[in-house]
Amino acid sequence: MASPLPYKIPAIQQAISVLWPSFMTAIAATGLFFSAFDPQDLVPFDLDIDISPLAAYSIGFFIFWLLASISSIGTLYFTISNCRFISKQNR
Amino acid sequence: MSTQATENPDKALYAAHKKIYPREVTGKFSRLRVIAFISLLGIYYVMPLLRWDDRQALLFDLPARKFYLFGLTLWPQDFIYLAALLIMAGLALFFFTALFGRIWCGYACPQTVWTEAYLWMERKIEGNRSRRMKLDKAPNSAAKIRTKVVKHTVWILFSLWTGFTFVAYFTPIDELANKLLTGNLGPWETFWILFYSFATYGNAGFMREQVCLYMCPYARFQSAMFDSDTLIVAYHPERGEPRGSRRRGSDPREQGLGDCIDCNVCVQVCPTGIDIRDGLQYECIACSACIDGCDEIMDKMNYPRGLIRYTTENSTLGQPQNLLRPRIMVYAAILLILLGSLLTHMLYRIPLELDVIRDRNTLYRETREGLIENVYTLKILNMDSKSHQYILSADGIDGLKLVLDEPVIEVPAGTVHQLIARIQADEFNMENRSETITFRLQARDANHLLTSEEARFVGPGKN
Repeated sequence: MASPLPYKIPAIQQAISVLWPSFMTAIAATGLFFSAFDPQDLVPFDLDIDISPLAAYSIGFFIFWLLASISSIGTLYFTISNCRFISKQNR
Repeated sequence: MSTQATENPDKALYAAHKKIYPREVTGKFSRLRVIAFISLLGIYYVMPLLRWDDRQALLFDLPARKFYLFGLTLWPQDFIYLAALLIMAGLALFFFTALFGRIWCGYACPQTVWTEAYLWMERKIEGNRSRRMKLDKAPNSAAKIRTKVVKHTVWILFSLWTGFTFVAYFTPIDELANKLLTGNLGPWETFWILFYSFATYGNAGFMREQVCLYMCPYARFQSAMFDSDTLIVAYHPERGEPRGSRRRGSDPREQGLGDCIDCNVCVQVCPTGIDIRDGLQYECIACSACIDGCDEIMDKMNYPRGLIRYTTENSTLGQPQNLLRPRIMVYAAILLILLGSLLTHMLYRIPLELDVIRDRNTLYRETREGLIENVYTLKILNMDSKSHQYILSADGIDGLKLVLDEPVIEVPAGTVHQLIARIQADEFNMENRSETITFRLQARDANHLLTSEEARFVGPGKN
């Protein structure tokens, strides 16, 4: 049986496969989340912070992007490492 | 592995990384595409400049949490409409894909539209396909660097304009332009302008077809919507093969040749760098450049047009065309049901809005009677098609008094009426320094036309 990973995936492709789907997910999550909640009402941990709505939406978006990226990294990592493992077993 | 790939291993290995220089093409479909591109770019850049009443016609006002769509104002609770619109857009994409194949990719996708715009600029600055290829191969010289600097400057300026326009969908464009010119742009506004500009510059200037090949989810699943009656761009192998060059005016049949003269124009014009003669490929964005390119050659050879053409699998096989397939009917039915419920929902939406803005200059003042008074500017938006008389009331604090210049407020159809409302309350009835009060607006002649809006009432506070 041929190796499931016949070549090394370039770093740039790995980066895009993590950042791009999570970017789209983050857009959807930001839209849904902020339709339901006004950032003005969401001051976390009783912090005394004063930020503009645009800043709140932007930071929210980046938090979603980060979380979704972590998930994508997990998927990428397990896919690659499992493929390597299977190809080693089959050798 | 195809035989071609084994013969040219270099080509097979490096084709994916080779820069594509699409050759310029003219013809029926190219004209259609240019019309589509100019209209779509026009809509994108002009839309934020349009006015409606005394505001921007299309504005996603995030700070105020309101979406303005021409005469319609959508609030966060109307999110369902936007969600329904998005679902309908997705379904419409399925529907049109099943009917016409990838016309979205070739004619309307922002990736295609901006790539073509950037290619056009590139062509104007660097010249046609062969000149561009020569320029890139040439060693660095003052002239080459100058041309490249000009191209990237034009690209970057266009990208910045694109980014600015994008942010203008969320911040009023006059305000944004004013801030930009006076150097008062906020950090996040600056960030998003640069972010979007950079994405445009990268996607349309460099990534181009790679976005379609490697990043686009639609490209991966669009084939699921295809059937034997879907419109595709296809080469006619029975007519074209065996391909080969020949002298003009000679009879190809005598030489045992088909109509394809193997001029490679279809490959050179292709923005994704494929050979349509190899059959339907997922890289093909159905831009029809090869159709126009080939037709031009066919005209020159005095052969009939349409060696590469829009067709369907059934039509190539000589089978009857079937327009009303179950798939089409199902997509159409779901679309119509969604559209129907959206419209019904919108019809039953209460066409009345009340906006309350507290006077920002003074927190409060004391009246001669010793009451605390706050002043509000109210905006009543009658979105109904006829004029109504409204009665305003307010509550939230015991003994609260509403002072108005006009007891009954008349608002003509589809207009905004602005008025000043004074609220007076005794400070002993206030629990906190700032209380929430509610303005209620009710039409005199229609019971269902009622709405309310909360506002802050500020007093001196208890010491």
